[in-house]
Amino acid sequence: MSSGYKPDILWSPHHADRYVICDTELSLYRIGPAGSSETKAGALPLSEETAATLLAINSDTPYMKCVAWYPKQEPECLLAVGQANGRVVLTSLGQSHNSKCKELVGKEFVPKHARQCNTLAWNPVDSNWLAAGLDKHRADFSVLIWDISSKFSPEAVPAEKVRLSGDVDSGLVVTKPLYELGQNDACLSLCWLPRDHQKLLLAGMHRNLAIFDLRNTSQKTFVNTKAIQGVTVDPHFQDRVASFFEGQVAIWDLRKFEKPVFTLTEQPKPLTKVAWCPTRMGLLATLTRDSNIIRLYDMQHTPMPFGDEVEPTIIERSVQPCSESIISSFAWHPSAQNRMVVVSPNRVMNDFTVFERISLAWSSTTALMWACGRHLYECTEDAGQGVAAAEKDIATKMRERAQSHYGHDTVQVWRNHVLAGGDDPQLRSLWYTLHYILHCSAAALQETIGPFKAYSVKVILECTTETRRCWSGSDRQTDVPWYHSEERSLALQLCGWISRGPDIDVEPFLKSLEQEGEWERAAAVALFNLDIRRAIQILNKGASAEKGDLNLNVVAMALSGYTDEKNSLWREMCSSLRLQLKKPYLCVMFAFLTSEPGAYDAVLYESRVAVRDRVAFACMFLNDAQLPRYIDKLANEMKEAGNLEGILLTGLTKDGVDLMESYVDQTGDVQTASFCMLKGSPGEVLKDPRVQCWIENYRNLLDAWRFWHKRAEFDIHRSKLDSSSKPLAQVFVSCNFCGKSISYSCSAMPHQGRGFSQYGVSGSPTKSKVTSCPGCRKPLPRCALCLMNMGTPVSSCPGTGKADEKADLTRDKKLAQFNNWFTWCHNCRHGGHAGHMLSWFRDHSECPVSACTCKCMQLDTTGNLVPSDSV
Amino acid sequence: MDLHILDHRLRVTSISKTGLEQYTHPLIKLIFLRNRTRCKFFSLTETPENYTVVLDEEGFKELQPSEHLQVEGSTWLPLNVVSNGNASSSSQSVGVTKIAKSVIAPLAEQHVSVFMLSTYQTDFILVREKDLSVVVESLVEEFNIFREEGGESVPVHSQDACNGLQRNGREVPHATVHPVLIPENQFCVMSLDPDTLPAIATILIDVLFYSNSPREGASIDQDMECIKFFSFSMIDGYVSLVMDTEAQKQFPTDLLFTSSSGELWRMVRIGGQPLGFDECGIVAQISQPLADSDISAYYISTFSFDHALVSTRKEVSFMIHSKSKRQD
Repeated sequence: MSSGYKPDILWSPHHADRYVICDTELSLYRIGPAGSSETKAGALPLSEETAATLLAINSDTPYMKCVAWYPKQEPECLLAVGQANGRVVLTSLGQSHNSKCKELVGKEFVPKHARQCNTLAWNPVDSNWLAAGLDKHRADFSVLIWDISSKFSPEAVPAEKVRLSGDVDSGLVVTKPLYELGQNDACLSLCWLPRDHQKLLLAGMHRNLAIFDLRNTSQKTFVNTKAIQGVTVDPHFQDRVASFFEGQVAIWDLRKFEKPVFTLTEQPKPLTKVAWCPTRMGLLATLTRDSNIIRLYDMQHTPMPFGDEVEPTIIERSVQPCSESIISSFAWHPSAQNRMVVVSPNRVMNDFTVFERISLAWSSTTALMWACGRHLYECTEDAGQGVAAAEKDIATKMRERAQSHYGHDTVQVWRNHVLAGGDDPQLRSLWYTLHYILHCSAAALQETIGPFKAYSVKVILECTTETRRCWSGSDRQTDVPWYHSEERSLALQLCGWISRGPDIDVEPFLKSLEQEGEWERAAAVALFNLDIRRAIQILNKGASAEKGDLNLNVVAMALSGYTDEKNSLWREMCSSLRLQLKKPYLCVMFAFLTSEPGAYDAVLYESRVAVRDRVAFACMFLNDAQLPRYIDKLANEMKEAGNLEGILLTGLTKDGVDLMESYVDQTGDVQTASFCMLKGSPGEVLKDPRVQCWIENYRNLLDAWRFWHKRAEFDIHRSKLDSSSKPLAQVFVSCNFCGKSISYSCSAMPHQGRGFSQYGVSGSPTKSKVTSCPGCRKPLPRCALCLMNMGTPVSSCPGTGKADEKADLTRDKKLAQFNNWFTWCHNCRHGGHAGHMLSWFRDHSECPVSACTCKCMQLDTTGNLVPSDSV
Repeated sequence: MDLHILDHRLRVTSISKTGLEQYTHPLIKLIFLRNRTRCKFFSLTETPENYTVVLDEEGFKELQPSEHLQVEGSTWLPLNVVSNGNASSSSQSVGVTKIAKSVIAPLAEQHVSVFMLSTYQTDFILVREKDLSVVVESLVEEFNIFREEGGESVPVHSQDACNGLQRNGREVPHATVHPVLIPENQFCVMSLDPDTLPAIATILIDVLFYSNSPREGASIDQDMECIKFFSFSMIDGYVSLVMDTEAQKQFPTDLLFTSSSGELWRMVRIGGQPLGFDECGIVAQISQPLADSDISAYYISTFSFDHALVSTRKEVSFMIHSKSKRQD
C-alpha cells in the first residue's frame, strides 16, 4: 500500500519557512539559506541559495489520503489527516505538546460508514470546522463537517451534557458530525468560500458542483459538469474558482455559475494538481501526471466578471523547476512571491521561483517603464542642462521642434532646419535640398517646361545623353576634362552650387559660404571650379577672419605650389601628407590636385564631404559612363544608411520614400518624414502606405502629447499641401476606459489584445465585437433605455411603428442608421441609442435614468423644434 | 430525483460450480489485474448453486463459452438513482427501500423484469436494453433521466426513447408467491480501498474459489442452516463485498471498511425453483412492504434466486408476515 503513494507537499500557513511532505508519513522541514550556520550538515539543498532541514517525522497515521493544515496561528502545527477508511485524525508535528494542542491531537472523527476520505478543508473563519469529503455510500452522506472542539462521545450525548459532566476523555472519538451533506454521491473535492464562510463548494461524483449554505442545507446551487476535481478558489478573486477533469481545467465565476466562464486548453495527460498563486493575481499553476513541467496560466488581464463579448486573454507558459525528474507535487509559498517548492516521487525537493514576465511600455514622451513582479522601474531622460542636443531622445527633439513650428515654413523651406534647432547636418542638407528642388520645380512650372517633376539628381541625369567637353578656363592652363550639359547644370543647381538661369557662376555660392565662415568648403568649391587663385584668396581670408585658423595660410601656401608635373616633389608630398589633414575639404582639395583625371575616388568617396558637394563634383568631372554609376551607387548607399543627404539624389520619389523609411527605422523621426513627404507629389508619394503611416503616427503623437493646436496646424498644413486628403473627423466618441476613439475607420489595423502586446507574446489576437471598444475591448456604455451595450443595433421600437410605415424606404434606412447613434445629455451624461432617446423624449422631458432628475429635454434648445419634413 | 442510465452494457452469466476451474484465470484477471482489462463493471456472487457473474462487454470477452457458462441472452443496462442532494430525505431508509415506490413498483406494473444489485456504495437496477423505452416512459414523470455517454450526462426525454408507450407483450401472473429461505448466518456489507486489494488477494482467492474444500470446525449440520453466499463487485473503481461473519473472520480487520456500528444483516432468499429472468414484480413484492415500514434493505439478484438483506430477525419476520399476507 505504501509504495504507491506519491509525496504531496504542504506549506505552513503561518511559518514561511516550514512545510510538510506527506507520503506514508508526515515530515516537517524547515527551509533556510544554504550554507548558513543554522543549517546543519544534514540539510538537503533545494536550490543554489536554500536548503531544507528535517525537523520532525510523524508516522502515527497510516493510510493517509489527504492532509490539511490548521489555518490559525495557534496551535501552530496541527494537521488533520484523512485516512483511507474515512477517519479524520488530528495530529501534530515537532511540537512540545502544549496544552491546547494536546487536547486536540489524537482526536478522531469517524464516519458511520467507512470509506475513503478524499479531501479535507478547514473553515477559514470558524477554524473549529473541518469539512471532510468522502467516497459514496448508499446510506450515508459524503460530506461531513466536524467540529474539532466537540466532545461528542460515540453515544452521541449532547455536547452540553458532556461539558457539564466534565468528561474530557470520551471526546477523543467523535462520531456525530456538525453537518452532513451530499447523500448518495461521492465528494471528490471541496472548498469553503472565503466570501461567505458558511458556504461550501462541493464537487461530487455525479458530475456536479454544488454550493451549500450551512444555514440552510436544503437549499443549494448546483451545476452539472465533468470538472469536479480539485475545486479551488482564487485567493485574489473570491468569485473565481478553478476545477478540473482529466486534462481540462474549467474556470468558474460563482456569480454566473451556470457554466464555466472558460476552459483552458486540454492537456494530453490527466491533471493531478491545480493551484492559484497566493502571491500573484490570477496566476494558476497546473501539473499533469508524470510530467516534469508546471504549466502556468496568467489570467491577470482577464476581466471579471467575464462577459461573452470577448475571448479571454490568457497567457500560457511552462516552467521546468528541475531538469530531469518528474514532479510529484508542488506548493506555492504562502508569502514569498511566485515561489514554490516541488517534490519528485523519490522525495527530491526543489525550491523554485517563477520569474515574472517583464512588461515594458514606452510613454509618448521619453520615459520607459518596465515592471517585473512587484517592482516598477522607470527610465527617464536626464533633463539636465548639460545634455547635448544631439544626445536627446528623438521624442524630446520632436516635441521641441513641434513647438518651434518646425516644418511649417513653406516659403523659405531651408529655414526649417533652423527651426529644428539648426544643429543636425542631415536635416540641414535635407531642407536645403527640398528648398532647391521646390525652387527648381516652381521655376520649371513657370516656364511651362513640363508638369511638376520630382526633381532629383538621379532623375535629371537619367534623361541626359548629351555631353559637351567645354571650356577649361581659368588663368591657369589645365588639361582636366570638365563636362557640361543642361542637365548637369540643373543638377548643380540642385546641389546649390549655381543659381538658376544660364549663368553658371559659382561666385554667389562662394560668397555665401564665406559669409557663413565655411572657408575650407568655399576654397574646395573654388578649386573644383578650377580657380586656384580664388581658393587661395578664400583661405587667406579665412585665416585672417575673426577666430580664423592660421593654418589656412599654410594650406594656401601649399596650394599655391601646385604643379601639374607628374613626378614633382610637391605631388608626392601632397598625396601622402593630405591624409593627415583633419579637415575633409582640405583633404579632398589636395586629393583632387594630385589625382589623375577621371580617377577621383579619393574625392568622390570621402564620406566626410557633404553629399551635395560630391555630387556637384561628380557632375563636373565624371564622364557619361562614370556619372550614372556613381550616382546610383551613392544613392543606394544613402538609402541603406538612411542618410537624408541622399534625398538630393533620390528626390521625393519612391526611392526617396525608401530612403526615408530606413531613416525612420533608425531614428523614429516621423515628424521630419511627414513634413518632408508632404512636399512630394500627391500622386506618387503621398499615397504610399508608409507615408500615410508616418503622418498618422505623427498626428497620434501630437495627440498623445496633448499638442492639440499643433495637431490642428499640422492638419491644416497637410490639407494645403495634399489636396487629396479629406478633412479628418475632429469629433470622436471616446472610450470611457482607454480614452481612444471607438470608431473603427480610423484604425484599419487589427487590434491586438492589450495584455499580449506589452509582453510581446504572439497570442491569439482578441476579437472585438461591435459592443466593445476596439482599443481596450472593454464594453461600451449601455443604452439607458434598452440596457444593451451601445453598438448593438436598435430593435424596432413599438411606439414609432405606425409613423415608420408611412415613411418611404430610403428615409427609413437613413433613420435606422441614425437610430444607432450615440446620444447623450451634456448635463447628466446619460444617454443611449438615438432612436430610443428620440422616442423617450417625445413623451418625457426628464432623463430616462431612474433617480436622475435632469430635465434633459428642456436643456436642449433645439429639442423642441420639429423637423420641417416630418409633418 | 435524477435517474442515470449508466454507460455500461452488461451481460448476466452463470458459471457452474464444477466448471469453475476453467474460469479462474479470467476471473482473477478481472478482479486483481484492473489495468490489464478494460472492464469497468464486474460483479461475482457465489451462491450454493453457482457463481453469478455480471460484467460489461469488455469483461465478457474474457469468458470463453463452454458448457459450464450460462449466459442470459439480453444486454442489460444499469440504472442508478441519485437523490441529487437537494432533498435531504428525512427517512434514513436506504437502498431498495428508497427506490421501491419510485422505480421498482412502476417497472413492475409495466412488466419490466429487473435485476437488482446492491453494493456498499449504491444500488443498481439492471433492466434489459430492449425495455429501455418502456423504462424511460414509465419513469420520466418521477425522474430527471440522464443517459451517460462518454463521461457526459445527456438528458433523456421520453419521446427520444420511444414513440408512445410500448407495453411488454408478456402477460405474467402477478401474484406468484415464491417460497423463501432464511439461513442462519449473518452477513456484513463492506468496502475496500482498491489499492489495498493486493494485500487481501490470497484470502479473497481462497474464499472465492476454495470455499467448497472442507474447513476445520465446519460441521455438516451447520451447513444445512447456513447458506454459502459471497459477493464481490468492482464497479467504476469501487469495491463492495458481501460475506457472512465466518468469511469476514479471515480478513484483516483494518483493511475492510464497514459501518462503525458494525451492523450485521440477515438474508432472505426468494425462490424455491430458479426464478428465471422473465418474471417481474418479485422485487416489488419484497420491497413494497419494506418501504411502507421504512426498513432498510439490500437486494442482490443472482442467476437463480433473489436475496434480500435486512438488518434484524424482527424485520425478517415482518417481511415474511407481509408476504404471506399478500398471499391471502
